[in-house]
Amino acid sequence: MKQNRLRHFLGLLLLPYLPLTLVLIALLFPFYWMVMTSFKSLSEIFDYTHSPLWVRAPSLSNYVFLFEKVQFGQWAINSLIVSVSTTAFSLFASIAAGYALARLRFRGVTTFGLIIFITYLVPRTVIFIPLAQVLVQIGLLGDLGALILVYPTFLIPFCTWLLTGYFRTIPIEPEECAMIDGCSRVGAAIRITLPMAVPGVLTAGIFAFTLSWNELLYALAYVGGEASKTLPVGLINSLAQRDFFNWGPLMAGATLGSIPVVLVYFYFMDNYVTGLTSGAVKG
Amino acid sequence: MVETTQVRPSSAAHTPARTPWQWLNREGPLGYLLISPALLFLLFMLAYPFVIAIILSLSEKRLGGPITFVGLENFTDLFAMKRFWLTVQNSLVYTAGALIFKFAGGLALAQLLNREFFGKRIATALVLLPWIIPTVFSTLAWWWMLDPANSVINIMLKRMGLITNNLPFLVDATWAMSSLIVLNVWRGVPFFAITFLSALQTVPEELHEAAKIDGAHAWQRFWRISFPLIIPVVIIVVLISTISTLGDFELPYLLTKGGPRDATMVFGLLSYDYALGIGQLGIGSAISLTMLPFLSILVVLSLIQVRREN
Repeated sequence: MKQNRLRHFLGLLLLPYLPLTLVLIALLFPFYWMVMTSFKSLSEIFDYTHSPLWVRAPSLSNYVFLFEKVQFGQWAINSLIVSVSTTAFSLFASIAAGYALARLRFRGVTTFGLIIFITYLVPRTVIFIPLAQVLVQIGLLGDLGALILVYPTFLIPFCTWLLTGYFRTIPIEPEECAMIDGCSRVGAAIRITLPMAVPGVLTAGIFAFTLSWNELLYALAYVGGEASKTLPVGLINSLAQRDFFNWGPLMAGATLGSIPVVLVYFYFMDNYVTGLTSGAVKG
Repeated sequence: MVETTQVRPSSAAHTPARTPWQWLNREGPLGYLLISPALLFLLFMLAYPFVIAIILSLSEKRLGGPITFVGLENFTDLFAMKRFWLTVQNSLVYTAGALIFKFAGGLALAQLLNREFFGKRIATALVLLPWIIPTVFSTLAWWWMLDPANSVINIMLKRMGLITNNLPFLVDATWAMSSLIVLNVWRGVPFFAITFLSALQTVPEELHEAAKIDGAHAWQRFWRISFPLIIPVVIIVVLISTISTLGDFELPYLLTKGGPRDATMVFGLLSYDYALGIGQLGIGSAISLTMLPFLSILVVLSLIQVRREN
């Protein structure tokens, strides 16, 4: 009896706990190191007489630096403006397109679906040079507006694909019942199906926001000027110069930039998993 | 049970419409209306730039200068360049290396998580974190972790007495490429694991029970039962990840900038270098377009897979 329990315990330790712990240490250490560094003073960062894995004299100086010496607040606001507006626009276009692709039968619907899927696959590196030419033609190159116009090019394909998949999982019967009861198709879609799609829309919105918050290539290539940098560009350009790296503030900035995303993630965890499985993969 | 024999209301839409509102409520017009914002936007912001990319790749074009048609000169120049072929090789090594480990690691991790145990929910949530946290910020942390002079890994290994000299993470060519692959795998494995896990969870338990009775052990049950059933998901995840790894810019730009001596120079970086570093938009476009043969094969394979599933 006692021996059985011991064997059971050892079995659990072997699978999954021991390997899982090792994997988690490997996966999470970079974040641990990022946060630890962010609380160290300059002298402590380069002091190797003690173990570097712990902070001996925690200080907020790196965080203060971000707001006093560089325009961290401004970069965060820029990122927020771009992320919120592009997410809103992309969701609007993608809900409509996703509904049409999943529910309506019309000539070319399969082709349109495939076109959107192909655009989802186009890497940004293929398109960033000619897109700059388009922005020059419109007169937005160099402006924050350039990013607002450009980000939906990868957000709309992604959200549409995810939402098409999600709309397909919603039963069609409630909408049909409403139409039999005299509701118009548009009315039924808005009043019956759309509310049922809220979890999918939320998922798409979260992913879209994170993708814009995270974007680097376009932000690096299309926007200049200290006051209109986004958070990633600001951190890299102003704190990671070739000759000297401000590791403390850099890690403090990375920590602050990650926090919103992590909070949203832990709060809406189920939506992430839905998005990964029902939309993005099966879609 | 829901009655499925009822007439679909959409068939009523074939009666002639009398008002614009009724016309709009028919599937065809509504479909085109709903899809047009997304489609027109993508047409103008992706298809049109793609045409410009082709034109630029056939032209001599400097930043702010005029466009002069030069035919295939950009491509012949590129193909005669050692640096270009090194880039092709690096991109392929990076993509293949990262994909193999993401696939194997993702599968192993999914299998590890595909059982009931105390703390499963929080463990799964933590596993996905590297994929959730914005790449830019996590890559900065990696850069600092692998810093030539102050790498925490070197410091810890030295303190433990395991090494006497620093490991040349970003300094030596092979180490730099390996570091880049490790970073890509670190970020990608969680995504692979969670998608594989959710696919594994759809495999009916009875199949495993039956195989168990027939004497199949865990290894056989995985490869003979679970794996064949999750292959559709595996194929799509692998294809999409291959495409984005091949076209990657962020990780190499942040971690190695293509160095040392072009050892980690990949397509995205080289074209960025030409376009924004030297201002040669023509050659820059030509470089990104040389990705197309690889990309088209992958895109076609993905399309076939997606259509098969639908």
